[in-house]
Amino acid sequence: MSQATAPALPARYQVVERQEETHDTVTLCLRPVDQPIPEYRPGQFTMLYAPGIGEVPISISGTGPDLGLVQTIRAVGAVTRALCACTPGRMIGVRGPYGTDWNVASAAGDDLLIVAGGIGLAPLRGALLAALGHRELYRRVVVLAGARSPEELVFARELDRWHRDGAEVAVTVDQAAAGWTGHVGVVTQLIGRADVDSARTTALICGPEVMMRLTARELRALGVPAARIRVSVERNMRCGVAECGHCQLGPLLLCRDGPVIGYEVAMPLLAIREL
Amino acid sequence: MSGVTPADLAGHAFLRGMADGDLAVLSRLCWVAPVRRGHLFFTEGDAAHRFWLICSGHVALDLTAPGGRELIVETLGQGDLLGLSWFVPPYQWQFSATAVHDTTTFEFNADAVRAACESEAGLGYELLQRVMAAALSRLQATRVRMLDLYGASGAVRGGP
Repeated sequence: MSQATAPALPARYQVVERQEETHDTVTLCLRPVDQPIPEYRPGQFTMLYAPGIGEVPISISGTGPDLGLVQTIRAVGAVTRALCACTPGRMIGVRGPYGTDWNVASAAGDDLLIVAGGIGLAPLRGALLAALGHRELYRRVVVLAGARSPEELVFARELDRWHRDGAEVAVTVDQAAAGWTGHVGVVTQLIGRADVDSARTTALICGPEVMMRLTARELRALGVPAARIRVSVERNMRCGVAECGHCQLGPLLLCRDGPVIGYEVAMPLLAIREL
Repeated sequence: MSGVTPADLAGHAFLRGMADGDLAVLSRLCWVAPVRRGHLFFTEGDAAHRFWLICSGHVALDLTAPGGRELIVETLGQGDLLGLSWFVPPYQWQFSATAVHDTTTFEFNADAVRAACESEAGLGYELLQRVMAAALSRLQATRVRMLDLYGASGAVRGGP
């Protein structure tokens, strides 16, 4: 069995590019050294291994040249700090891809609404790029992104390109100084202004769970069916192959049954305090 | 004549569904006010004699912090009510408001609207409900922002 099909063994990838998104978030472009992992579907994640330190689940933000991967990482612990510090030339381990995907194609013929909070834009970037790559298949592609401040908006350099490629892009921040000409407020406030056609909208949401719950609630109030709302839920993924049980959320093992799940499934689970 | 008809007001999200009679009263107390980017609608501490319904464009509510730094508190846009302080004593603006882009509004004589509410309780209650809904929506949004969802405590590593 090759490395590419052996989910427990990391494949070697070399960092070929490092882009600082914010003060604590970095996007790495990775190129396979040996056989690459299988092709990913937007929404899936990999287990990234910082040699000698540990392994963490990170969503795939897109693909790079030479069967490479683009992964955006926020430094919140020892492993992610080590990964964020990786400069071009460094080697890391990659397992995956794991989990469910956004199923972007299911929105073909209708409107695709992408709502992201903070670094939640990273798992959605691949879905957006997939939709923009076949822009003619969708009526509208709308991106609503929230961040703490203009300085903490990830992929800020790409917003204009997304707009040129046919997406309607609106950004809101929690805090801004004078001179900021974008919106200030929570991302749910953008939904009311997005002229959502509830009967023909598929919504993909990723961000902190509270933000996803409030966003989904807003969409439900507009009449978007729960079955057409998808969220990406994070728990403590370890093995990636539904064996260790660390990522259990009620009846789900999120590394296998998630991270992307329908809101009709997620809604009751996200409301339980103990889960 | 203000030039604003009840039908014009009926199309604004803030007044949607309001009775024709009430719209007729309000239409006599407002006018269309297009302003350029950078226009100052009101300044913190000033008396609140006007309010606006935004038809297009964006308006930033801001506050001057120590050191003279201006912080944007919230941005309002199409369909929003600009100005809450005209509705309750002491009728004094708590923030400043500046047009972020070229903006068009229905501008109301707040003193005259309050007087109309005093004399017509039905109109007053109708407006109270709508102003309250706008205030509640902003209160809830503010509470969510206070949670600092995107800060370290709400962090995800980059998903999933």
